[in-house]
Amino acid sequence: MIRLLVLLLAATPAPAQDMKVVPAAVFKPFFKGDSTATAVKAFTMDTKAVTNAAFLKFVSNNPQWSAQNIQRLFAEAEYLSHWTSAFTEGLDHQLANQPVVNVSWFAARAYCQSQGKRLPSMAEWETAALSAPVDSRYQNTNDIILDWYSRKMPEGATVGSVYRNQDGIYDLFGLVWEWTEDFDRVNFSDDSRNSAELPAGLFCGSASIDAADAADYATFVRYAFRASLKGNYTGRKLGFRCVKSL
Amino acid sequence: MKNLSYFPSTLRNFAGLLVLIFLTAACRQEQSTQGDATLGAVEGEVTAQLTDAPEVPPHIGLRHNTKVIVQLEVIEKTMRLSDGVDYTFWTFGGKVPGKFIRVRQGDLVEFHLHNHPDNMLPHNIDLHAVTGPGGGAEASLIAPGKSTQFSFRALNQGLYVYHCATAPVGMHIANGMYGLILVEPLEGLPPVDHEFYVMQSEFYTSGKNGEKGHQDFDMQKALDENPAYVVMNGSVGANAGANAMTVKVGETVRLFLGNGGPNLVSSFHVIGEIFDKVWVEGGSLINTDVQTTLIPAGGSAIAEFKCEVPGTLHLVDHSIFRAFNKGALAQIKVTGEDNHDIYSGKQKEEVYLPEGASIQTINSGKSAKPAEIIPEKSTEERMAAGKTLYSHNCMACHMEQGTGIAGTFPPLVNSDFLLARKDKGAGIVLHGLQGEITVNGVKYNNIMPAVSLNDDEVASILTFVHNQFNRQNTLIKASDVGQWREK
Repeated sequence: MIRLLVLLLAATPAPAQDMKVVPAAVFKPFFKGDSTATAVKAFTMDTKAVTNAAFLKFVSNNPQWSAQNIQRLFAEAEYLSHWTSAFTEGLDHQLANQPVVNVSWFAARAYCQSQGKRLPSMAEWETAALSAPVDSRYQNTNDIILDWYSRKMPEGATVGSVYRNQDGIYDLFGLVWEWTEDFDRVNFSDDSRNSAELPAGLFCGSASIDAADAADYATFVRYAFRASLKGNYTGRKLGFRCVKSL
Repeated sequence: MKNLSYFPSTLRNFAGLLVLIFLTAACRQEQSTQGDATLGAVEGEVTAQLTDAPEVPPHIGLRHNTKVIVQLEVIEKTMRLSDGVDYTFWTFGGKVPGKFIRVRQGDLVEFHLHNHPDNMLPHNIDLHAVTGPGGGAEASLIAPGKSTQFSFRALNQGLYVYHCATAPVGMHIANGMYGLILVEPLEGLPPVDHEFYVMQSEFYTSGKNGEKGHQDFDMQKALDENPAYVVMNGSVGANAGANAMTVKVGETVRLFLGNGGPNLVSSFHVIGEIFDKVWVEGGSLINTDVQTTLIPAGGSAIAEFKCEVPGTLHLVDHSIFRAFNKGALAQIKVTGEDNHDIYSGKQKEEVYLPEGASIQTINSGKSAKPAEIIPEKSTEERMAAGKTLYSHNCMACHMEQGTGIAGTFPPLVNSDFLLARKDKGAGIVLHGLQGEITVNGVKYNNIMPAVSLNDDEVASILTFVHNQFNRQNTLIKASDVGQWREK
């Protein structure tokens, strides 16, 4: 089945992923307790989230990352589960250009490595996300986030369809959540599988005590989302993009 | 907490059970707060039946400590907040407030929380009925598409709020993530005819109250504690009008009341009833004969009353602008026979004229102060005075041209009813008129109050009405009015 899909997709090869530079910055962590400001060196970032088409190409070249072969340790059963039905009903341009979801952190990491890239650190991702939209539909990123949380974004949107920021990077908000290399950093724990070490800072009053800005609830939600993840988790609204050091 | 070690683990004999409950009750008097947590054994397993407001799961009553499995699903969905107003709610079970959970003291609750895969956000649950870190929140943070499980022993009886405690906590609660869990006392609650689940909460929308379309959460309004909506059971009118709760006269009602907040404290009141009993703050303290009970944000109360007479009861937050302007109102319709010993219904309706003189006139009639001697007037003088007096005393109902209002206020123009009266209508002005009359073939059934005027003034009004509206060439004298007044 995968082979058939690859043949079909071959007719519309996924364009090579454009990358843009994210300038160096000093990243101020959202949580005060989360060490002090961090210097982030300039890096290049995929302008768009990784698509189904691109990930399918990766899987066909690296069959150990297919849904059939992958180890449960690296991805749970829902891994790439949206492909089976949707992709078999003929080539779906829409799906091909949608961000790939239902991918684990391990798989996302392997994909980036296969491209000679890596997953962004949380500090890098958050730094890139600070860049304001140039799209006239939105005044600022917070408007995009709120529309997204309120489920006002169209279902099945393709990559590059939400907004572009001043660095030329698309859809850091409004399309899918994205994996970061150190997504579990907020847990203050080496092992995020240890439920006893789930972040105390994210519960009740302590969350706002430690936050740099208690009113920044859009950011709270993003950090809470990351805190709820484990490396082999997949999600219907969780994808990724890659970066490269300069 | 009651000392659960008194509760038997292997009891088979119901009589023995009663004895032990008696012992437990006796123990409780000396030890009304939480004692040591030595727990009785748990026997058997049931899956909790969960209900949406205003329904409540069935009474549990006497039984062994049991393992109760609770399956609760978090669903993010867009629903009606008010007519024409939609909101993206985050829910425990698909509705706001969340599912009502009912267990019994001593039960072992195995809690399964599911975060629907189509959800956008991680969630967890903090049950105030849990003794343990975060009320379960610590053990239950889950990403979309995940389930989590934890267990707790229901140590304390009472009615408890549960809510989501994922950062930002306020936003999760403000979007609808709260509900109630009842931990029945060992001996159960006394039987009643109806139990209802009513939970108050507020919503902070980007638009003003009533602004149509989909509304977003407004963090600034939430920080300012200035909600656009304060509602009972999740939306404006959720249990009012056609969706009102219904009971019959003579039946007893128990309300399980919660306040999800996130900010406001509710001054909960039922218009038309007095709470016979209130379990204050949902705990063990019972107050009686209560008009309004405070429900803290993140707190509860249980209220009971008997519906003695028919009618519609309004459940409100007596911070009353919330009720009538922001939506904090639910209704119970009571049907059945009137009981006039308790409430008569409307016995009389009269127009109240606040000037002292008019009250005197109405009440004392013939024994009014002796009238001053006023000289009689000419027709022209009476017409001029009558016109002014008419506009002040009569025009509001009978209208400027004497046409009245069809079906409500009878006309004075060419009025067969007026012309047929020997006293020229003076009696009506002096004494008022009530009941059904027919004027020019049309029936009227209304009340005209006695008008507080002296003989001279009445003579002028009548002269004006007869000449202006009925083409009569009549001069009515004050002395004529005086005679009619005496009759």
